[in-house]
Amino acid sequence: MRSIPWNRLRGRNNEGVLVLSIIAFSIAVGISTPSFWGWPTLLDLGTNSLINLVFAMGVLLVIVSGGIDVSFMAIGIFSGYAVIILPNATGFGADYAVVGFATAALIGLGLGLLNAIAIAGLRIPTLIATLGTQGIIRGAMLLWVGSKVIPHYPAGLDRLGNDYLVTVHSGAAATRLSVLIIPAAVICVLVGLLLRYTMIGRSIYAIGGDEESARRAGIPVTGIKVFIYVFVGVLAGIAGMMHVTRVGLANPYELVGGELDVIAAVVLGGASIFGGSGSVTGTVLGVVLITLVKNSLILLGVPSTWQRFAVGLLLLVGITAQALSARLRRRGPALAPGVAA
Amino acid sequence: MSDLTERAVQRLLSERDLVALVAMGLVVLAVFSLVTDTFLTVISFQVMGFQVAEVALLSLAVMLSMLTGGIDLSIVSVASIAALVVAKGFAATNAATAGSGRALWLTVAFIALGLLAGVACGLVNGFLIAKLRITPILATLATLQILNGIGIAWTGGVTVYGMPNQFLNVGGGYVYHVPIPVLILLGAAFLTGVFVNRTGIGLRVRLVGANPTAARYSGLNPTRVLYATYVASALLASIAGVIIASRAASASADYGASYLLLAIVIVVLGGVSPLGGYGTVTGVVLSAFVLQMVSTGFNMVEFSAFAYQIAQGVILIAVIGLNTLTQRYGGAWRSRLLRSRRRAAATGDPSTARTQ
Repeated sequence: MRSIPWNRLRGRNNEGVLVLSIIAFSIAVGISTPSFWGWPTLLDLGTNSLINLVFAMGVLLVIVSGGIDVSFMAIGIFSGYAVIILPNATGFGADYAVVGFATAALIGLGLGLLNAIAIAGLRIPTLIATLGTQGIIRGAMLLWVGSKVIPHYPAGLDRLGNDYLVTVHSGAAATRLSVLIIPAAVICVLVGLLLRYTMIGRSIYAIGGDEESARRAGIPVTGIKVFIYVFVGVLAGIAGMMHVTRVGLANPYELVGGELDVIAAVVLGGASIFGGSGSVTGTVLGVVLITLVKNSLILLGVPSTWQRFAVGLLLLVGITAQALSARLRRRGPALAPGVAA
Repeated sequence: MSDLTERAVQRLLSERDLVALVAMGLVVLAVFSLVTDTFLTVISFQVMGFQVAEVALLSLAVMLSMLTGGIDLSIVSVASIAALVVAKGFAATNAATAGSGRALWLTVAFIALGLLAGVACGLVNGFLIAKLRITPILATLATLQILNGIGIAWTGGVTVYGMPNQFLNVGGGYVYHVPIPVLILLGAAFLTGVFVNRTGIGLRVRLVGANPTAARYSGLNPTRVLYATYVASALLASIAGVIIASRAASASADYGASYLLLAIVIVVLGGVSPLGGYGTVTGVVLSAFVLQMVSTGFNMVEFSAFAYQIAQGVILIAVIGLNTLTQRYGGAWRSRLLRSRRRAAATGDPSTARTQ
């Protein structure tokens, strides 16, 4: 029997299953609302998922290493909001969007260092450490950076927020694909290369697989952990900046609270919460599936109040499938030698 | 050193967490009593009592799951589901305008129904964790999302009003100047203590958390233990939900969302190990009161709510960080102490040797 092609189609992290789910869901929505087919849906999907995609890349690194992070949204909004406030107050970096993004990444790096100290230095369990830093970062932003919504943008960022790669007109409505999809895609590719082809990337998998084994194999566990949380901070800073740029209103109360959508996407994408497995492809598909479901509920005539429920249900189905298949796999090899003997 | 004082010192050392908490509470009390002249009054303590009960109940719920080495993130959603069941029940029966006899009857019935709904949520968590063997973090993350989603969809995101006075008394009344929520909290804490310390299943809860492998090899079936843990946790959460609804005179899917971080801070500050196995009800209740004093004190000196949020995060990281550091570097010190004692025992010096 040739079972290999099926396994390859399914993918190492169930990427195939995700692709199938996305196709099946699209067909179901397409049948009930034919207007689903068309460029607007695709462009909306791109624009709506690009920010969570960048956040998800950071969360992927953390989950692959066996941790969990709930502070990335706080880092994101802190960085984005601070960059908008800074030029308004000082006139610094007003004209170039690149300067804004670099500053946001730098702020994210600093805040990520906070996580690195708590997790790699003080060895606090990751969920508890990031819950703590989430409170500190968000509180510090609202207390010392600002708590008002800011509508005035420096010229460079204002322009970038209204730059579109593609615009499709259908009747009076126009659907656009934000140009920010390009940096988002570049980041995904870079994280993919990092995870697959560099020592650091392989070390992250090794730590997630078994930290003690990784240490005995000579991997600098503490150093790698510092890298992970600092890098995740940088990614979160950039993603927060993208969010602020795209929305066109810097609102410090946004983003925090949306962590679960991103974590759900990464877990759906096949990353194991125990660490050691997960892929960029799977994560991208997970983000796409969640965004698609959220977008399409309205098309299907389901009130938007059901969005949260739908994402939760999706997450539940995903983790149940993972748990069951893990149990089957554990049973499989244990029986095989006995049968052979 | 006489034997008696040594035993007292030993006792204090073994209850180090509790002693540290009481000391911290006294410092907080002293600071705010000095800084403000309204802090050390009966009224301010009554206000604190009304506020502390719901979050202390949620903390007890988190403690139970942490004892087994897991965590229950869904408590906040469970609380709001219980509150919504009660509120929707009142709205459907027009209880706010009912006669006092009928209103009382409805109050009892819908509180029971709300708690029952909470227990049902706990059963779902138990099924996912004990039967399907999903990691507690993920399982409760999903139910947190789903239950919150059900709440939002059920209410359409709107706050539900209309509650009879009999129900409002639960969260706002006094018995001999003591707020009723505090009495509910103390009752629930006592029962939780009995459950954890005096019942067989409670002992198993701690065993599963302290060493799951050893528990399994001792023939302990974790399924029932995990079911009991998550049902009890959900029950405590739904009691908190009922109090929240009664105090707010309304219910909404979003109430109490900020309590999750606070509950975990309280539990950890109360000396519960996030890795499972260790923790006391007294510690958790004490730490809830200490943090409530910090919150009320911050309010009185007009610090913003965001400053309290920062304080929560700093306390959480400082407490756990200190714990892991003392474990790492304190181990060597402790083993040296033990060795010197053993040497003393071997040479027959009765003043430093301790019989087991």
